[in-house]
Amino acid sequence: MTLERPDRADPYLDLDEYEPEADLMVLNFGPQHPSTHGVFRVVMYLDGETIVKAVPYAGYLHRGVEKLCEKLTYAQITPIVDKNDYVAPMFNEQAVNMAFEALTGTEVPIRAQYIRTIVGEIQRVASHLLWLGTFAMDLGGAIGGGTSVFMWCFREREMILDLFEHLTGCRFHYNTHTLGGNRHDIPAGWAEKVHATLGHIAQRVDEYEAILDHPIFKARTEGVGVISAQLALDLGLTGPLLRASGVDHDLRRDAPYNIYDQLDVQVMTDTGGDCAARYRVRVREMRESIRIARALVDNVPPGPICGTKPIKLPVQTRVKDGQVYVALETPRGELGTYVIGGGDNRNASPYRLKIRPPSLHALSALPYVLPGHGVSDAVAILGSLDPIMGEADR
Amino acid sequence: MNPWLHAVLYSLVLVTVLMTCTAYATWLERKVAGRMQSRLGPTRVGFAGLLQPIADALKLLQKEDIVPLAADRALFNLAPPLTVFFALATAAVIPFSPGLLASDLDIGALYVLALSGLMVFPVWIGSWASNNKYALLGGMRAVAQGISYEIPLLLSVTIVILMADTMSLSGIVQVQADEGWFIARPFGLGLATFALFFVAALAEGNRIPFDTPEAESELVAGPTTEYTGMKFGLFYMAEYLHSIIVAGLGAALFLGGWDGPIAPGLHWMVLKTLGLWMVMLWARWTFLRFRTDQMMTLCWRYLVPASLGLLMAAAVWVHAVHGVS
Amino acid sequence: MRYVTASMRAMALSLRNMFRKPTTVEYPEEKRERAPRMRASFALVHNADGEEACIGCLMCERICPSSIITIVQGEKRESAVTGKKRGWADDFTLDLQACIICELCVQVCPEDAIIMTREQERPGYRREDLVLTMDKLYANEKKALAWGRGSILMDMQDPKRPVEVPAETAEAKPAAEKPAAETAAAKPAAEKAEAEKPAAKPAAEKAEAEKPASKTSLEKPAAEEPAEKTSLEKAAAAKPAAEEEKP
Ligand code: SF4
Ligand code: SF4
Repeated sequence: MTLERPDRADPYLDLDEYEPEADLMVLNFGPQHPSTHGVFRVVMYLDGETIVKAVPYAGYLHRGVEKLCEKLTYAQITPIVDKNDYVAPMFNEQAVNMAFEALTGTEVPIRAQYIRTIVGEIQRVASHLLWLGTFAMDLGGAIGGGTSVFMWCFREREMILDLFEHLTGCRFHYNTHTLGGNRHDIPAGWAEKVHATLGHIAQRVDEYEAILDHPIFKARTEGVGVISAQLALDLGLTGPLLRASGVDHDLRRDAPYNIYDQLDVQVMTDTGGDCAARYRVRVREMRESIRIARALVDNVPPGPICGTKPIKLPVQTRVKDGQVYVALETPRGELGTYVIGGGDNRNASPYRLKIRPPSLHALSALPYVLPGHGVSDAVAILGSLDPIMGEADR
Repeated sequence: MNPWLHAVLYSLVLVTVLMTCTAYATWLERKVAGRMQSRLGPTRVGFAGLLQPIADALKLLQKEDIVPLAADRALFNLAPPLTVFFALATAAVIPFSPGLLASDLDIGALYVLALSGLMVFPVWIGSWASNNKYALLGGMRAVAQGISYEIPLLLSVTIVILMADTMSLSGIVQVQADEGWFIARPFGLGLATFALFFVAALAEGNRIPFDTPEAESELVAGPTTEYTGMKFGLFYMAEYLHSIIVAGLGAALFLGGWDGPIAPGLHWMVLKTLGLWMVMLWARWTFLRFRTDQMMTLCWRYLVPASLGLLMAAAVWVHAVHGVS
Repeated sequence: MRYVTASMRAMALSLRNMFRKPTTVEYPEEKRERAPRMRASFALVHNADGEEACIGCLMCERICPSSIITIVQGEKRESAVTGKKRGWADDFTLDLQACIICELCVQVCPEDAIIMTREQERPGYRREDLVLTMDKLYANEKKALAWGRGSILMDMQDPKRPVEVPAETAEAKPAAEKPAAETAAAKPAAEKAEAEKPAAKPAAEKAEAEKPASKTSLEKPAAEEPAEKTSLEKAAAAKPAAEEEKP
């Protein structure tokens, strides 16, 4: 796939124009709306119920995390960035720590790499489960079948959170990754719990597939919100969105980190580019992640779990200069962290920490995809993009 | 007894009973839905949450009654009681057991259909008066849907009328008690008609998978977006009333109404209504929702032709069995 | 027709879920069992001598990303029990409202003085209810304490530590039935057997098989790792194949 200049009209060029004579209804979709996934606003220009133009506005959940990171030291940043992608926090902490490790040249012990891979894959399952539930809820409503699927998905997700509770002590925002490795080692008996839970979830995923293999679901998703491969590449979409559009790209295989270079990760692609394709890709990824995690969890090699001195003082890691960009594959795509060393606290803070959230890029597809669809489809499309506003707005 | 007095007294009893049923229908629905979703449903208020409906009503009554500044006040306030009124009025002709009904109208079936057709009015009034875009979209959807699905509903009831040769609901039930229930008679045709009626009734009552007007995930709360407190409660109540009454209508038209062995008629009628209502509920918590245009396609492209075909088949069957009368 | 069969299947599935055990835990009356590592609230503890363990070293105050710990350092004076001179904290406040439960304060504490509890604080009606004063923190000592201590966490992350043996696994282990270097042919069978055991155990076993005393030694079996890696690769590849046959 070559990257060319897009020859289509860029909807961002005339975003703020509104022609009153066109007689359109302006619908402020969000930020107080049940299905804007946190806080997000799309201004829709409607002709009847058909969207003519859609203007997304992000930023309602902006917390200034990047700026905050410039004030905190390397040791303190991990628990703060945890809160970005609040559906898959494991990846946030892993991303910044991988960046810091690259910056300081710290070696991560093999055991820690295994643990990172395992928790990452389990977290991916949890994140996709949550997505499946909320997506069904977007399609099925808060009082209806959608909620049933939502509740069931959450029931299974809780089991994964239980696993993390046993490993790290927290169900969310674990702060288990640290510079040079992990803070928590695998407790006794955890591997069986993982096997039991993931085996159980694998069965339940089949069940969800059966319940969603329904003409109504097909009618609502097939051909809805088609993102072509070219558009996906142009907009910098990554992760399941890109793969659903037919581009075979997965950082776990193409730019392996942790121990992914030793693993045979099957990259799930689909050709439709529509909501149904994105659904299929995510469900298959769930199975693949379950497979990887189960294969690894019995074979964690012995050894230390942290490559450097554990955190004792906030300022113990100092980086004078240098910059690094590290990316990893989260359930939503490429989560990049760009760090420039040498900041406050006598070089113990980064000068600049930039996070490239996959969700923000996903949302940028909305003005291209929404026009021509109805309001109902808009909800389905927004849901299928799986945006996490905490991450998009930071 | 004076027929007027009978009507008034009976209506009072009926309204009370129906309202209580509605309140407990919400409890039952929440319990069943909760269990379906691996939850418990209400448990806190009273034993097994049995006082939950009362607590809900109290809560709704306490809520501040907000009328949007730009709303049309008169219409805005008119809509909620009107929905309940139409929903309750329908109940007048549902035969609960021989002789146990408010008014045995000769044109009972027609009356029911006419009133349920009118149900779209308060919804539209409310959505228009709210002066809210989501409400407007919801109202538009509700009207389109209500009017479209009225046709297959009407046609499926017409088939029953044709086969029973009477328009009085108690007459229809009597025919079924004498000659067999219409769901099974004639074989296949009755079942198909029942299915048609059921789907159309679900859509008419804005139940999932046809609840596009309310579609919380799209239109916040559809026509009721701007309603607060007990006004919203009235809409909610009307929806439940309507679904119960539709279930009762289905039981009377297809499942033989009060007809059944051993137990008195009323028991059977209640049992059948409850069963049908539970199926509606079960469907509600299982299915996703259609899109508006898909619903319209389903109605006009499949249900209306199918109902016309069934009507013709029923006419042929009636002619073959009874001859020209 | 597709509608009918698919609808039937979907409805059967939702009905099936109706007969599954509900997952709801009615919280205040019944409580979910918490994992030993659960972190929820904080406690300050007394040391083995029965004195307040906190020496007021301000390590936790400095590391806290939310800057919510405020300590008033006391003067150094002799301990009543041991007679040694040590520091004291005159006041200790932890504002739980802004705490992000990151466990860093626990990790850095040199005296294992601040420890997390597995029990949440009771919800309160005022903001002050969630500010843990020194009294509250010492009262929390009686609650179920979490597993994490400064020393444990530090040990666990020690880069020179070869094998982590959590306290819970210090039980009798069966004799190691397989050496670390295994031929590829025998791998799946051995792997199955291994799957039944805790993750940390095989690791410990391997170390034990080679040198029984290595549990406590800090020396790392360096030669073991490459062999381990390649066999693992095979294991990872072999596992899915075995799994695909299962359904
Ligand atoms: S756990 Fe809470 S108190 Fe302790 S360092 Fe983290 S934020 Fe501060
Ligand atoms: S709690 Fe621990 S780290 Fe904090 S002041 Fe006391 S001794 Fe130092």
